[in-house]
Amino acid sequence: MATITVEIDGHIIDSLLLPKVLDLIVASGADYELRDVHIGKTSTDPSHAVIDITMPDGVDSEALLIELQVHGANVIGELDASLVPAPTDGVLPEGFYATTNLPTVVRVGGDWLEVARPEMDCAIVVDADRGAQTAPMHKVRHGDPVVVGLDGVRVTSPTRRQGSSLFEFMASDVSSEKPQALLVHRVAERMRLAHAEGGSILVVCGPAVVHTGAASELAALVRAGWVDVLFAGNGFATHDIESSVLGTSLGISVDGGEPAEGGHGNHLRVINDVRRHGSIAKAVEAGFVTSGVMYECVVRGVPFVLGGSVRDDGPLPDVITDVVAAADRMRAELTGVSVALMFASTLHAIATGNLLPASVETFCVDINQAVVTKLADRGSHQVMGIVTDVGLFTRNLARELLG
Amino acid sequence: MSDTLAWGRRYLMCPPDFFTIAYEINPWMHADVTVDRDLAALQWHTLRHALRTAGAAIEVLDPVDGLPDLVFTANAGVVDGRRFVPSRFRNPERASETPIDCAWFERHGYELHPMLPGVVHEGAGDALPFTDRSGTPVLVSGYRTRSDVQSHVSLSRVLGVPVRPVELVDRRLYHLDLTFCPLDKRRAIVVPGAWDRYGARMMDELVPEPLELSVDEALGFVANSLVVGSVVVMPHCPPRVGWQLERWGFTAVEVDVSEFHKAGGACRCLTLALDVRLT
Repeated sequence: MATITVEIDGHIIDSLLLPKVLDLIVASGADYELRDVHIGKTSTDPSHAVIDITMPDGVDSEALLIELQVHGANVIGELDASLVPAPTDGVLPEGFYATTNLPTVVRVGGDWLEVARPEMDCAIVVDADRGAQTAPMHKVRHGDPVVVGLDGVRVTSPTRRQGSSLFEFMASDVSSEKPQALLVHRVAERMRLAHAEGGSILVVCGPAVVHTGAASELAALVRAGWVDVLFAGNGFATHDIESSVLGTSLGISVDGGEPAEGGHGNHLRVINDVRRHGSIAKAVEAGFVTSGVMYECVVRGVPFVLGGSVRDDGPLPDVITDVVAAADRMRAELTGVSVALMFASTLHAIATGNLLPASVETFCVDINQAVVTKLADRGSHQVMGIVTDVGLFTRNLARELLG
Repeated sequence: MSDTLAWGRRYLMCPPDFFTIAYEINPWMHADVTVDRDLAALQWHTLRHALRTAGAAIEVLDPVDGLPDLVFTANAGVVDGRRFVPSRFRNPERASETPIDCAWFERHGYELHPMLPGVVHEGAGDALPFTDRSGTPVLVSGYRTRSDVQSHVSLSRVLGVPVRPVELVDRRLYHLDLTFCPLDKRRAIVVPGAWDRYGARMMDELVPEPLELSVDEALGFVANSLVVGSVVVMPHCPPRVGWQLERWGFTAVEVDVSEFHKAGGACRCLTLALDVRLT
């Protein structure tokens, strides 16, 4: 049970804002008491109400407070954010404010500062020189001023979701039934728009991109400049190189579909060879890798981040096995990204979803609806899911963009 | 008609020299749709001519390359007498319009009254004056889609009039001026289906003689009209609406501004009334 006090100002009686706010409180399962109501004497005088809200356990207080904020009821009173120094490196002070991926402002010295790089599950550090920014736990240094509590923090209201209409056919979260050509066309359109506006395009890939035979189309997209950053794991990069060098993906011929003799070890041989060269770039330079997505990335200078996991074979020398370091590298590559495409990758899609601000348009293409749902459940509500075979989708996307 | 609106005879307009669909910030905009700039210019001049013929004076804001939506002057800010409250746009795509608008108003001797920091409000597109039943002027202001409800306290303080917020619930009707058009002191075109039920009830109280449109009619930009005395300049006028306006003594004039529908705007959006006096 928690009690929170909000206040609302303005012409709240005639405009029915006050009854609306009170109805919203009751509808959420919470209760209220009007602590103080001051009604303006003339019709030009603003009125003022102070409302104590009692929230039983189970009421989503954050959602309610955000909704109330949209209608002008703010948690009393708009104080400056409380800043408490981090007690030690990598540890946040008690009661730290945990961020969402939505645009956020904090009040410091009476001014509202925009929080740079919105990212969920971080803290907000307010720095005299650099302003306010999100900071993942491990990045916080002893003494950094960290925002504590809800005072002085405002999150921009999410837009209300509307029913479907002709204008908003992309608004539903997951789509397996919409005409795919139309979806491909819309995704291509967003990619064109992103580039026209100077934004960059991030692609996150799982190994299924290679298994489904779509690596050559993706490579063509990289070659044509449609991919500005690539995130993947050891699996994707390995199978991409395996299919380029040996023509198989996990030992299965990419063209014929039949298992190659001794093919189960193909990916290990490829990893071993790349390790001998020292890095993917050196393997390309030496002429060992001559095609594929990783090859095109190296040749075109497209930055890629390969994040490791405990089940990786090898791994390839470029794989960052320290997951915290991998996430930091991914973070560093996100500047300027305005469209993200997630292709059949559960692990890396969710990891990337955690890092992306809600403003980045994100398309998750996966044959498994659970991946899309999982992404949304973890707070990446901006994701548009497209449930389909990634091979088919990538081929159609390449056709749409490359003609 | 003794109840004729006291404002609506002087407007600011900006020619569509650089009008295009460069980004998508409302459900009407699609960046792959091309604007016929010659046709847009013709429609804009026809609108200006219609307003002049009806008896309005038109001031012109110089267009700026790279600011395609500057043509929608309704969103420059809120005017009251010689005071101007510049907009603070929700979308960064339009933020660069504000300095241009401010410069024009400063040059023309207006006092600038900025909104409180941190609040968003998109000008007369989301704020239209009306008179309540006691004869007090009020400013009806839309919120949620483009403007914050918090801006209303700020506006009310600066302008000294009551601001009546109404929540816009249909993203296609994203500004108040697509859902509300004051006709005179008692009458207005209203679209209750575009408002939440509290807003609809409040507006029902406020407007004694409403001309109600369905959401479908509003999607034809019917409410995005202008009133110059007894002339209503409309992008489109369904017969039912025309008959009612005629019964009330208005003359409806249709001006095709269909090129601007591609960006989600029509007649009202293309103008900013400069002769509004709230107090």
